[in-house]
Amino acid sequence: MKTVLRTDKLTKRFGELVAVDRIDLEVCEGEVFGFLGPNGAGKTTTLRLLCALIGPTSGSAEVAGFRLGRDDPKIRASVGILTEQPGLYERQSAWENLVFYATLYGLTTAEAGSQAERYLRLMGLWERRTEPVATFSRGMKQKMAIARAALHEPRLLFLDEPTTGLDPDAAKTVREFIVQLRGEGRTVFLCTHNLDEADRLCDRIAFFRRNVIRIADPDELRAELYGRATEIRLMPAPRPEDLARVRAVPGVREARFENGSIVVASADPLHTNPLLIRALVEGGAQIAFVTERKAHLEDVYLKIVEPIE
Amino acid sequence: MTAIVAASPARPTLVRAVCVREWREALSNKLLVGMTLLPPVVILATGVLAVAAAAINPPSEHDVQALYAAAPAAAGLDPKEAVQGFIATYFLILFMLIPTVVPLTMAIYSVIGEKSARTLEPLLATPVGVGDLLFAKSLASTVPSVLVTWIAYAIYLGSVIALGSRAAQNAVTAPRWILAIVVMVPLLTLLSVNLGILISTRVNDVRVAQQIGGLVVVPVVALGIAQVTGRVVLDNGAFLQMSAFLIVVDVAVFWLAKVAFQRENILVRWR
Ligand SMILES: Nc1ncnc2c1ncn2[C@@H]1O[C@H](COP(=O)(O)OP(=O)(O)OP(=O)(O)O)[C@@H](O)[C@H]1O
Ligand SMILES: [Mg+2]
Repeated sequence: MKTVLRTDKLTKRFGELVAVDRIDLEVCEGEVFGFLGPNGAGKTTTLRLLCALIGPTSGSAEVAGFRLGRDDPKIRASVGILTEQPGLYERQSAWENLVFYATLYGLTTAEAGSQAERYLRLMGLWERRTEPVATFSRGMKQKMAIARAALHEPRLLFLDEPTTGLDPDAAKTVREFIVQLRGEGRTVFLCTHNLDEADRLCDRIAFFRRNVIRIADPDELRAELYGRATEIRLMPAPRPEDLARVRAVPGVREARFENGSIVVASADPLHTNPLLIRALVEGGAQIAFVTERKAHLEDVYLKIVEPIE
Repeated sequence: MTAIVAASPARPTLVRAVCVREWREALSNKLLVGMTLLPPVVILATGVLAVAAAAINPPSEHDVQALYAAAPAAAGLDPKEAVQGFIATYFLILFMLIPTVVPLTMAIYSVIGEKSARTLEPLLATPVGVGDLLFAKSLASTVPSVLVTWIAYAIYLGSVIALGSRAAQNAVTAPRWILAIVVMVPLLTLLSVNLGILISTRVNDVRVAQQIGGLVVVPVVALGIAQVTGRVVLDNGAFLQMSAFLIVVDVAVFWLAKVAFQRENILVRWR
């Protein structure tokens, strides 16, 4: 797969403070790449570095095919960024805000108009396009800021906590938009504190605290840290001999009762589960449900990332 | 979907977009419009009234003696003429306050407004150059300020010609005043704009910035008082020299503003 972003020991210091410490990242075209880390981890700083807003102290990076520090205007033209703060011109209408930015990205008047319309409609703000942004709710402003980030159709988008402070409905619109971007083959670099969201949206997740601690896809992380658990619900409730039978199946690491079910952890559930079910059925148990039990990403996160002292 | 190719816009396009946005924003801010228009309106109104009053009420002997004492340059002129000429000249100096005060307010609002609304980061994320952006922003404050000053002067000129004496008319249409209005007004305006921008990079409160910026007014007023009291005689040559001096100062202040207006500085140091 093609790489759209690569960093090599990218570092940013603010005086004594090392905000971003020698990070090596590689992001592939078309993926949603999650960037997770505690407050003050340096996520926003990394985004600013990658969008050529601030210069690195050392290290290098290639973004959207351009070299950081050499082709900065080209990088800025090819990426879109949703900044931490929406930063809209509050006295101007939604329409005026977007057309202004489209012009700054070099779009023609006709393109600016059609792009502004496309994104206002997509974000459900078309009806309110002539109203000053000051009259908008926080969620509407955030949607405006996302529209602005995408106006010039960048292949690579950096989103800094896009759903923070949004109600579930607005958050859903934003998540659907991210899925849509991915469907169009665009790459999304997503900073978030919402682990559930990262789990649902991201192909890969980087755990980050000044430098990258781990990168993996969410399922892989869970499986590796907790094994994979299977929950088997029996009707009537499981008996002690059922548990004994389960424990005797090769590949089972651990089995226990939990609320009328047997929860089984095994290294390779795909191989072990059929044996398990056969053993139970042969022992006369009645199986009602078999479900995969996922560890929450939150558990994984807490285990990997310690808070900044 | 059409293929959109983003790139830096052409400079004139950028300047136009920034100016239109700033002007829209300024016009929708009633406080700013008021603060911008108040000084020119007050100066113009008092100026016209003073000339009109002098034309209607002849000066007393006492006033004339006081004038001769204060402004040796007026000595020897016909008293009535002298008083009107004096008043007309005096107000022309006050007119030089307009291009210092008006653009200062506009520039301060333009930068501090963006700072407090946090609009600078997305702005700087676009492919436009910061130098071009700074240039566009200065122009957005300079152009309306110059226009306001010129319009105020035109009205004053019309009023003096209609109401004033020969000496008053001669005073306001003297080549050095025409020169001052045509050449020095834009130069003074540019100076205040860039000074306003420079101050705004360090200060987050509009009123504090205005107070600091208000210091530019001091040399203008000092020069004006000196001129009226006859200490400095600004002939046409001296005006040209002052214009040249202003050009140098303008370039220096723009350069300083440019140094302060760097992408990384704005994001990291401006607080
Ligand atoms: N302009 C600056 N000057 C000095 N230090 C800074 C500056 N910007 C950020 N920092 C420091 O760099 C570190 C990383 O900050 P950053 O904003 O990148 O974190 P973050 O991961 O985005 O945090 P959050 O989740 O709270 O948004 C912090 O310790 C912060 O204090
Ligand atoms: Mg942040």
